[in-house]
Amino acid sequence: MWRKAILLSLREKKIFTVFTLIYTILIFLTSLFWDLAIKEEIGAAANYLLVIFFGTSLFLSLLYAWILVSRKRRVWATFKCIGYTNKNILVLVSGMIFFTTIVGFIIVIEVLFHYTAALAYLHSEGFFSKINEILIGLVPVIITSALFIIVQIVAFFLAYRKVLKVRPIIALKKVGE
Amino acid sequence: MSADKDVMIEAVDINKEYRRAGAIIRALADVNLKIRSGEFAVIQGPTGCGKSTLLNVLSGLDLPDSGRIIFDGENIARATEDRLSRLRRQKIGFVFQDFNLVNTLTAMENVESVLWPTVLRQKEIENRAITALRDVDLLDRKDHYPVQMSGGEKQRCGIARAIIHRPRVILADEATGNLDPESEKQVMDLLKKINKEMETTIIFVTHRDLSQYGTKTIRMDKGRIIKIQ
Repeated sequence: MWRKAILLSLREKKIFTVFTLIYTILIFLTSLFWDLAIKEEIGAAANYLLVIFFGTSLFLSLLYAWILVSRKRRVWATFKCIGYTNKNILVLVSGMIFFTTIVGFIIVIEVLFHYTAALAYLHSEGFFSKINEILIGLVPVIITSALFIIVQIVAFFLAYRKVLKVRPIIALKKVGE
Repeated sequence: MSADKDVMIEAVDINKEYRRAGAIIRALADVNLKIRSGEFAVIQGPTGCGKSTLLNVLSGLDLPDSGRIIFDGENIARATEDRLSRLRRQKIGFVFQDFNLVNTLTAMENVESVLWPTVLRQKEIENRAITALRDVDLLDRKDHYPVQMSGGEKQRCGIARAIIHRPRVILADEATGNLDPESEKQVMDLLKKINKEMETTIIFVTHRDLSQYGTKTIRMDKGRIIKIQ
């Protein structure tokens, strides 16, 4: 079923691309400010920004879960008609949310390589005197991604509550009824 | 008693009421019905006569206020939601008026989706989906998305999805309601063929006169069965 969740995610091209990009930017920025907070470069501001980013991640997860369940209510109702349990549908929805974050994380790792390489080049060309301050370590990225996934547990609960409320009988009603 | 062994679905004293805009609507009133294994039952009646409610109750999608539904020997009127889901997965195939195919999945994937939550291996699921699509003469469209198919093709895909798990019963709610006469005939002939060759019990709800396809016609009006032929 997890593989099918990935398949469904990838087929939802627009929504998947938008949320993956937002997650990528959020993970990148959170990791950057986390790194700065560890190095005590920008003081308390970094802590506030971290809270804002995690809050945004929580909001996004809830929004994503809400969109996936509400916009596709008829699909889930049809799946219930053809024998899916609430648990089966939750696995699909959770898998879709989880997969989007994982892809965001992978893109951040990929981007970090290029970011580091570009900074190293600019440093060698004399554009920066201090390079260490703006380089992002791998540890903050991994911890940030892990925390983002933990934050999504709240979204899973929301999705579960909403999935429970989807009545299979909706699938039998005419579109627009 | 031996005759009752052939009964696939039995409704006993079924009553169902709805509350709409403050008024109580009696959707089903003392409905008693037996549908035997292998029958093609056409439930016919005007809009609002309770035929779709009866279908919902017979499939466990809706609960009756009183009475019993015996499905293949088991009273499902008070079964848990998980039990009903399993029952639908194992024994029931649904065909919908609006096809209800997932637009982001191909015809093949739509058909396969019934078996995703099972323990079957992907290869076996694919083989079964190919067989089901071949049975409805839609194999050449297996990689097409619903938007690339005509109404008749979408409904044949819906039928393939309904038969992939070889159910005992197929429930169709106004399954030809969105089709032109030619596609309607194709779909009805196909259901008739499935009924004969696979011995699948079919319950077909419609407001049109399609009794020529059925082995039994149940006419309803105002929540009551008025005639069984």
